[in-house]
Amino acid sequence: MSQAADSFSGRFRRWARKRSIWVFHVNAASCNGCDIEILAALTPRYDAERFGVELVPSPRHADVLLVTGTVNAQMKDRLRDVYEQIPEPKHVVAIGACALGGGVMKGCYNVGHGIDKVIPVDLYIPGCPPRPEALLFGIIKLVTGEPPDRREE
Amino acid sequence: MNLTPLLVAEILLFPGLTFFVFMAFILEWLERKTAARVQGRRGPVVAGPFGIVQPVADFFKLSMKEEIVPEESDKFIMRWGPPLYFAAPAAGLVFVPVIALSALIQNQFDLFFMFFILSFTTLMASLLGYASAGRYSTVAVGRLVLQYSSYEIPMLLSMIVPAVLSGKLSLSGIVAAQSGHWFVLFAPVGFAVFIIAALAELEKPPFDIPSASTEIVGGWMTEFSGNTLAYVKLTKNLSYVFLSALSATLFLGGPQGPIFVSGAMAAVVLHTFYFTVKLLFVAFLIFAIRTALARVKIDQATRLFWTILTPLALVQLGVAVILGW
Ligand code: SF4
Repeated sequence: MSQAADSFSGRFRRWARKRSIWVFHVNAASCNGCDIEILAALTPRYDAERFGVELVPSPRHADVLLVTGTVNAQMKDRLRDVYEQIPEPKHVVAIGACALGGGVMKGCYNVGHGIDKVIPVDLYIPGCPPRPEALLFGIIKLVTGEPPDRREE
Repeated sequence: MNLTPLLVAEILLFPGLTFFVFMAFILEWLERKTAARVQGRRGPVVAGPFGIVQPVADFFKLSMKEEIVPEESDKFIMRWGPPLYFAAPAAGLVFVPVIALSALIQNQFDLFFMFFILSFTTLMASLLGYASAGRYSTVAVGRLVLQYSSYEIPMLLSMIVPAVLSGKLSLSGIVAAQSGHWFVLFAPVGFAVFIIAALAELEKPPFDIPSASTEIVGGWMTEFSGNTLAYVKLTKNLSYVFLSALSATLFLGGPQGPIFVSGAMAAVVLHTFYFTVKLLFVAFLIFAIRTALARVKIDQATRLFWTILTPLALVQLGVAVILGW
C-alpha cells in the first residue's frame, strides 16, 4: 500500500468509495429471472440501500455494472457501449449461469458463451437465478473488500 | 454596505454557506430515511450512525470519479455552468434571516431578487441539459421548461401575498412584520400553493416529470458524471433548503418564536433553533407529499397549475389586499 493511500485523505477516499455503491443494470438477453432477483435485493426484505447501494438510471452515474443473461450477437456491441459510458473506477458483475457461460441457453445459434468474452468481468455470481443475499454479499465484498457485517444484515 | 471580516466569516461559515450545505446533506439523508421508513425499509444504515453521512459519502465518491464530457456537448457551459448553477441558491440563502430578525445582507427589494434566483436556477438547469447534448436531456429540458411555465405564475403570486400583508418587499421586513401572528394564519391558501409550486420547482413527485427515471433515463442529468454530477446533485439539495427556508421565512415567521430572551448569545441560539425547526417542518411536509403520491402527466400538471392554483392564488392575493388595508 502506498504512502498516499494511508494518509487521512486517502483513507477518507477509500471510505467514501466503500460506502456509496451505485449500480446500473443491463439485461443482456436474460430470461428475467435474474433481473427479478436484482429488484428483490432492493425491496424491503433485503434493502440494499442500507449499504449505500442505489440503482441509478444512467450508466454515467454508475460505479458497478450488473449484467444478467447470455449476451447474444445483437447485444454484444450495445453492452460494450454501455460499459464504455461508465466512468472509472468501475466494476462489472456477471449475474447468473447465463452470464457466466451460457447456462440453459448454451449451444444456441446466437448465444455468446459468457460476458467475459465481451467486457472484462470482476465478479461472477453463479446460480439460476442467484438469491438476493448472494447478490448483495458479492457486490459489497467486491467494492469494500470485506463481507457485510453480520450485525448489519 | 461594508464587508467587515466578521460579515465575511458569517457569510462563509455560520449562518451562511457552510451551514446551508450542511443542512442540504442533512435534508437528503432525512428524505432518503423517511422514504425508506414509509416503504417499510431501513434506508442508509452503514455510513456513520444511522447512515447520516451517506450523502457525504455519495458526494465525495462522485467528485473522485472520472469525468466524461460528451463529444458534441458545449464544453464552455459544461465547464462553467455547474458553479453558476450552484451559486444561485447559495446567493439566495444569504438574504434569508437565520440568527437574527434581519438577514446578513438585505436591501429594500429582496423579494424581486428571490424571483430572479428561482427562475435563474431553472434557466441554468435547462442550459446545462441542452449543453450536454444528450437525447434524453433534450427531451427532459422541454418538459422542464413547460413545467416551469406552468408553476411560475402561481408561485410568484403566492410569494407576493406576504409582501402585501406586511407592506414590505424585503425578507427581513416581512419577518419583522410577523411578530406574534405568522402569515400562514392569514394566508393558508398562499402557503399551500407555494408548497405545491415548490414541489414542482424541486422536481419531486408528483411533479418529477423532467427527471422521471422510468421514462427518460436520468432526466436532464443523464449525461453528467463525476464532479459535475456531484455539484448538480448538491445544488438540487441546496435548492431544497432554499425553498424550505423561503417558505419558513415568508409564511412561518422565520426565526421568530414564542419565547424571547434578552442575552445576545442566547437570542442567536434561540433564533437559529426556531428557524431550523421551521425549515425541517416544511421539508417534512414536502417529504410526506413526495413519498405518498405518484407522478402526474405533464398536461395534468399544467392544468392543475393554470386552472386551479393560479385562481386560488389570485383569490388569496385579493383577500390579502383587503386584510393588509
Ligand atoms: S441464469 Fe437462469 S434465471 Fe438467470 S437469466 Fe439465465 S436462465 Fe434466467
